[in-house]
Amino acid sequence: MSTTQVFDESRVASLAEQRPQAPWGTRTASFRTIVILAVFIPAAIVTGLWWYTDIAKPVLMVAGYLPLQLAAAIVAAVALRGKKSAFDAVIIVLAIGATVFSLVVLVSVLWSIVTKGLEAMSTAFLFQNNEYISPSTPLGYGGVGHAVVGTVVIVGISALIAVPLGVMTAIYITEVRGRAVPYVRFFVQAMSGVPSVVAGLFILTVLILSGALNQSAFAAGLAYAILMLPTVARTAEEVLRLVPEELRTGALALGSTRAKTVLRVVVPAAKTGIITAAILGVARVVGETAPLLLTALKNDKTVLNPFAEPISALPTYIFDNVAQPYPDAVIRAWGAALTLMIIVAILFTLTRLFSSRGPSK
Amino acid sequence: MATAEYDDVRIDDVQELEREIASQRDANVPIEMETRDISVWFAKRKVLEGVSIAFPKQSVTALIGPSGCGKSTFIRTLNRLHELIPGAALAGEVLYEGSDIYAPEVDPVHIRLKIGMVFQKPNPFPSMTIRGNVLSGLKLSGMKRSNHDDIVEQTLTSAGLWNEVKDRLNAAAGDLSGGQQQRLVIARALAVNPHVLLMDEPCSALDPGSTLKIEETIRELSKEITIIIVTHNMQQAVRVADNTAFFLATDGNPGHVVEQGPTTEIFGNPRDQRTLDYVNGRFG
Repeated sequence: MSTTQVFDESRVASLAEQRPQAPWGTRTASFRTIVILAVFIPAAIVTGLWWYTDIAKPVLMVAGYLPLQLAAAIVAAVALRGKKSAFDAVIIVLAIGATVFSLVVLVSVLWSIVTKGLEAMSTAFLFQNNEYISPSTPLGYGGVGHAVVGTVVIVGISALIAVPLGVMTAIYITEVRGRAVPYVRFFVQAMSGVPSVVAGLFILTVLILSGALNQSAFAAGLAYAILMLPTVARTAEEVLRLVPEELRTGALALGSTRAKTVLRVVVPAAKTGIITAAILGVARVVGETAPLLLTALKNDKTVLNPFAEPISALPTYIFDNVAQPYPDAVIRAWGAALTLMIIVAILFTLTRLFSSRGPSK
Repeated sequence: MATAEYDDVRIDDVQELEREIASQRDANVPIEMETRDISVWFAKRKVLEGVSIAFPKQSVTALIGPSGCGKSTFIRTLNRLHELIPGAALAGEVLYEGSDIYAPEVDPVHIRLKIGMVFQKPNPFPSMTIRGNVLSGLKLSGMKRSNHDDIVEQTLTSAGLWNEVKDRLNAAAGDLSGGQQQRLVIARALAVNPHVLLMDEPCSALDPGSTLKIEETIRELSKEITIIIVTHNMQQAVRVADNTAFFLATDGNPGHVVEQGPTTEIFGNPRDQRTLDYVNGRFG
């Protein structure tokens, strides 16, 4: 620009006529044709094979549709944008393929739980317990009420123990930064590989067989806590690590002690992440069956006292019923699985709601 | 050219003049803070050597120099934040009101309460409201001060932010713009009534308008408290500082103060060739 230019005010009226557009979204007719062909030709071939041959359906999808679609995408990409975009096409098709594959697996698991679980579902099923019910009793009598209470009590006890311990461990690692940090981290990592049955066996041999505890909700809660602790500690450590160092020095520069820096600045800044750590911990244990078989046994009554007697939870209820030779019992197991999923979903939604609240009250 | 006549100035002369200037200053204004031969190490690497600067009460001192010369490291020794870095070491004395802040019986928490700090990057506490941030120093340090509303209004006014936020004191601090956040953390530092305020490049991330506001704030505050500011912006040093110290580190050697004195002297009549080159933007 060799001369200074000034905005011409008289153009305001004509500029007001401009409408928002997306020129990058406009496609030529040949582009559209090629893309449509690249999508429909493989789909048509595979649909034909699906109906008129006996090739196993999963084999057809993986060994037939995926390579066909890959080839079509590569041809279309080369025709439209040149050789360099062939690799783009491969990556996009593989990424979409992998996503669809995992979605199909997840949705079919979900679908079978929902369809079969709904057969058992009724108010009686949700709120009644298993007293006076035998595996052959028809649906409509008895339910998982006692097991829901059991799961809530056991998971509640383990969360009460493991969440504070796990968060404190994470605070030791990221905030206190003592000499033992490498060992603590190694130990926590090693603990997350402990098989759940070992946690159950540990409580059984150390606390139950020694006579210190009954097989009860509390014993089961302790076994769950062993499994929950490493998950909570590692996730909380990750989120505390994300809190910017400037916030810590900022608080210290205001004359704060280290304890207040952690409690009033660092932990609140990582609040959402710490709640997530607790949820992940609960999600880690809520379906574990093996520790319960060793530490909680089963009970057909609704048990509220966590120390007194054996107690049933949803995983053990499923385990008991799914192995019965009666169709109604198996349906009850599906119903219990659906109930467990609903409980986890409610838990996740609630915590998301709480954690999305900002600082203003 | 002015450069030629300083080439011949001998080191002894410079030191003598510095002593002269220092003695004049001593006669007029009491010294609030003073460092004596501060040297700093990170692990085995010496990054700063023999820094002796006196900070007169209610004055503004600018620390200038190219990146990596140890200005920020130096300023963090003044409120004992340096020691938080693993492997940090230090020699020399930092005197605050005549006594060494590194003496074994001194609690760093008390020192940081008297000697506040504003950082390069605005760091409001994201979990707190605007009002909560201003008062956070009181809560964190356990300091008792009544009439919180007055403190909020006063400090936000001194930081030049009151008019922009007075209607939304309970909004999240993270909703403010970068410049507003920086003025918020200045207000936060003022709420605990510090006697000295350290500022580590407080305007480096700000637009010219916010920078100007903060500079006005600094001039205003210096009527009450002592301010030490690290800056890369030489015009800023000229605008706000009574005194200036020029830091330099060459070829991996530890940084040291090449020249210090009244800002008008450092910029208008420097005695060292390197200072002259630096303040005229010839390197750095």
